[in-house]
Amino acid sequence: MPALNETIHQTARLRVMAVLVTLDPTAEVEFTYLRGLLDLTDGNLGAHLRKLEEAGFITLNKTFVDRKPRTFVSVTNEGRIVFKEHVEALESILKNKE
Amino acid sequence: MNITPSEAEEALSAIQKIMKKTRHSISSSGAYKFLILWGIIWLIGFLNSQFIPGELAGNIWIGLDIIGGMLSAFIGIRLNRGIRSSSPSTTGKRIGLFWLILFLYCFIAILVAGTTDGKQLAMFIILFVTIGWIAMGLLLSFVSVWWGLALVTMACLGYFFLPDIFYLLMAILGGGGMIVLGLYIRDRW
Repeated sequence: MPALNETIHQTARLRVMAVLVTLDPTAEVEFTYLRGLLDLTDGNLGAHLRKLEEAGFITLNKTFVDRKPRTFVSVTNEGRIVFKEHVEALESILKNKE
Repeated sequence: MNITPSEAEEALSAIQKIMKKTRHSISSSGAYKFLILWGIIWLIGFLNSQFIPGELAGNIWIGLDIIGGMLSAFIGIRLNRGIRSSSPSTTGKRIGLFWLILFLYCFIAILVAGTTDGKQLAMFIILFVTIGWIAMGLLLSFVSVWWGLALVTMACLGYFFLPDIFYLLMAILGGGGMIVLGLYIRDRW
């Protein structure tokens, strides 16, 4: 039976993961784009991203584009699997209710 | 970790909402820019066809199309700058290829028809562009299908029943409509 994941279940982190798994598997999303999409502050998003990175679910790639520092975020294979299992677990809770 | 069914429902709903928003953001992030750009080009081009006779009008159209093509390429390159991928998405490549093939078909259809009449040329281009528009609407966002159908219906009515003001109609309702739709997408989506 698929298991719920405590790190992912927090609403903001759940939404971050949902955005990342919606993109192409090779895609990376820029921090500011993600911030706008999720409507979070810099500090808030940064803290959630660090937790997800520590858990091994995402990768933060700090780089320079046109001489400006940019952070790109992508989901790891493990993150994808854990997110999928988490969604399946949520669905099974709903099914069991019915 | 245990959660109640209502918490599970809330979490699933949050996931679906943000996934939908993400897809929408990717697909519509540049649509409005193309609509406004080509709306302005249609507005100027068809007004010029209505009021400036003959060869000069044709040359102005060619100039406008070149400017439109260059600006479209510029907008296209800048699209989705917040997302980068080592392999461009298959969908993106297919959409690009679809438009290329569609324009090729349009060009061949015009050659086969052998027409030099401005209104017929305009109708050929409008028909092919709206076919592409509707196909994109069916794939990406169903709402825009109705706008595509409205545009082609208006073009047919103008062509068959109001030929004297066909260009004016396409300038104001076609070009103007595209600008309004572009602004609507920018502000409401």
